[in-house]
Amino acid sequence: MAEPSKGLLRAQEIYQDRSHRAIELREQGKKIMGYLCIYPVLEMMTALDIVPYRILGDMREPITRADSYMPAVNCPFLRSCLDLGLKGKYSFLDGIVTTHICDVGSSLSGIWNYTVRTPFSHHIDTPHTLHETSLQQEKGLLQDYRKALENFTGQKMTTEKLKEAIRVHNEQRVLVRGLYELKKQDPPLISGVETIQVIKAIQSLPVDEGNELIREVISEVKERSDGPPHKSARLLVWGSILDDTAFMEMIEGLDANVVMDDTCVGSRAYFDDVELTDDPLDGLSRHYLMDIKCPRTFRTRDYNDVRKDYMTDLGVRFSYLRDYARDWKADGVILESVRYCDTHGYDVPSVRDYLDSIGIPSIYLEHDYTEGALAPFRTRVQGFLEIIG
Amino acid sequence: MVRIYFAGIDLGSTMTKIVIIDNDEQILAYLVHHTGAEHRHLANRVMEEGLEKASLSIDDISFVMATGYGRINVPFSDHQVTELSCHARGIASFFPNVHLAIDIGGQDAKGLKIREGKLLDFVMSDKCAAGTGRFLEVIAATLGLEVEDLGDISLRSTQKASVSSICTVFAQQEVVNHLSGGIPLEDVVAGLHDAIAGRTARMVRRLKVEPDVVFTGGVAKNIGVVRALEENLGCPVLVPEEPLLSGALGAALLGKELTLKALAAGETIQTGKRRLDKATFFE
Repeated sequence: MAEPSKGLLRAQEIYQDRSHRAIELREQGKKIMGYLCIYPVLEMMTALDIVPYRILGDMREPITRADSYMPAVNCPFLRSCLDLGLKGKYSFLDGIVTTHICDVGSSLSGIWNYTVRTPFSHHIDTPHTLHETSLQQEKGLLQDYRKALENFTGQKMTTEKLKEAIRVHNEQRVLVRGLYELKKQDPPLISGVETIQVIKAIQSLPVDEGNELIREVISEVKERSDGPPHKSARLLVWGSILDDTAFMEMIEGLDANVVMDDTCVGSRAYFDDVELTDDPLDGLSRHYLMDIKCPRTFRTRDYNDVRKDYMTDLGVRFSYLRDYARDWKADGVILESVRYCDTHGYDVPSVRDYLDSIGIPSIYLEHDYTEGALAPFRTRVQGFLEIIG
Repeated sequence: MVRIYFAGIDLGSTMTKIVIIDNDEQILAYLVHHTGAEHRHLANRVMEEGLEKASLSIDDISFVMATGYGRINVPFSDHQVTELSCHARGIASFFPNVHLAIDIGGQDAKGLKIREGKLLDFVMSDKCAAGTGRFLEVIAATLGLEVEDLGDISLRSTQKASVSSICTVFAQQEVVNHLSGGIPLEDVVAGLHDAIAGRTARMVRRLKVEPDVVFTGGVAKNIGVVRALEENLGCPVLVPEEPLLSGALGAALLGKELTLKALAAGETIQTGKRRLDKATFFE
């Protein structure tokens, strides 16, 4: 019998056939829980030995079934997720957990329930602001979620189990950050394309298997001699979901390496740890509401301060991008968004104003979530590289 | 000084343009041909014609720079640069004080912010061909006119019609409705030009409209669109004598600069093979 593949090759294999391992685990009696976006608290699934499995779309598969339930002016990523669900691609899921990522995402959870009909479903109505009351609300919602999962499995989610799950997920966060450290070198030791493959793979595996995979990738990449070549530009990519390598391939096919990202099949879920609090729900609610920096949560300097100052607010909201650009030595930023993603679209002018204010060049690309329509962006990205070069 | 030669080839979606210059930036030859499905394969022929016109052989050319939509598919080029940078460079050679350039070609429209000949920022129309040369070709065909005649026809207008849609298909319907409603042809054509100019002006305002404003590309040959752009932008719009050549000229000039920089640094210029192969667009 052939040795099972490891490291980058295994990540690529999972990237290409991501449900394989989940289906295998289900056959062994594990419960597989689909989750949409990065806000459903994965630690609580892991605490009850449920395998979290991220629901993603497929930009290479034409949307044919979802149009009966969602209009074409809705986010094509979410339409694609539903389309795959309607085509039975998520039929191995025992349940689905959704959150109020955005209005369309929230509506999708309802549509999914009466069309795809995954046996278990739970929706967390995650707040969108950082008021103290929002934090209390998030904690209350997680208490409900805990009960729902306990009823689903018939098991008690003890504090000890939850703390252990937080520990293992924090370990994953540390490992992912370790992987991104290897992108600080010039040339980076791992490409943007490979990074998406690894992150998508770990979002399709139980957390301990994901951690093992990242360890393998880190030790392989550190020793490799076939890493990305030196390119003239080092880029940071910010934006909405990139769950296919096509967009990165388009960029890295030019004279640029993508050395850092702020996307949700990228670094976004992993750059802050969950604080281990006496009541684990305190640390979890704070982390999922406040630490994850996705435009779906509106962050301002101080809600009680009526003297709003735009530039100060921008600093509060986006200074982490300055740190990324500085630490990963990015020469420019590509802002990308799936068409009709209001959530990211509304933040684009502010992010650009912030980047302009600190002298980091940027370009904004809005795409249709189809692999074939990416070619026109090549000229835009190449033109951008010629300007910053 | 020994004369050395540089070629720029701009393989656009509709037209293929070639400019050959010497180290004094004198234009020795230029050609504009329809790209077309067949001509894409025959970019080499166009190059051969250009060389013949300049009385040169391909071996005389020190550097061939390709640009345009088909830039990566010119097998005899030494390097490729986007049409954005090439247009900026080419336009600045005609108009050194250019601050905003607008290029409307067969497939897209671009706005370029230029300072001292350098491209600083750009905007491009979306993948839809609305408001481009292709749009005008389709409308001209609907009206049974030659696209080249639209400009002069529109100048006879006394009250331009309102064309609300810039979608090629819907605009076609609107044009037919206007004509069947008795609106004179010249007013309808002037309305179309205004729709294109309005859309383009909204797009380039993101870059700040500051004279000199230069207009290039095939659509710049249409005097009706030029006038409509001036009206929409509220400033004069300059058009070079041959508005299709700025990309190819810019490519040749950038090729020259690259070559001279390498020579000054004592470096060898990296050039490709000098055989004129067919452009392989679809393979």
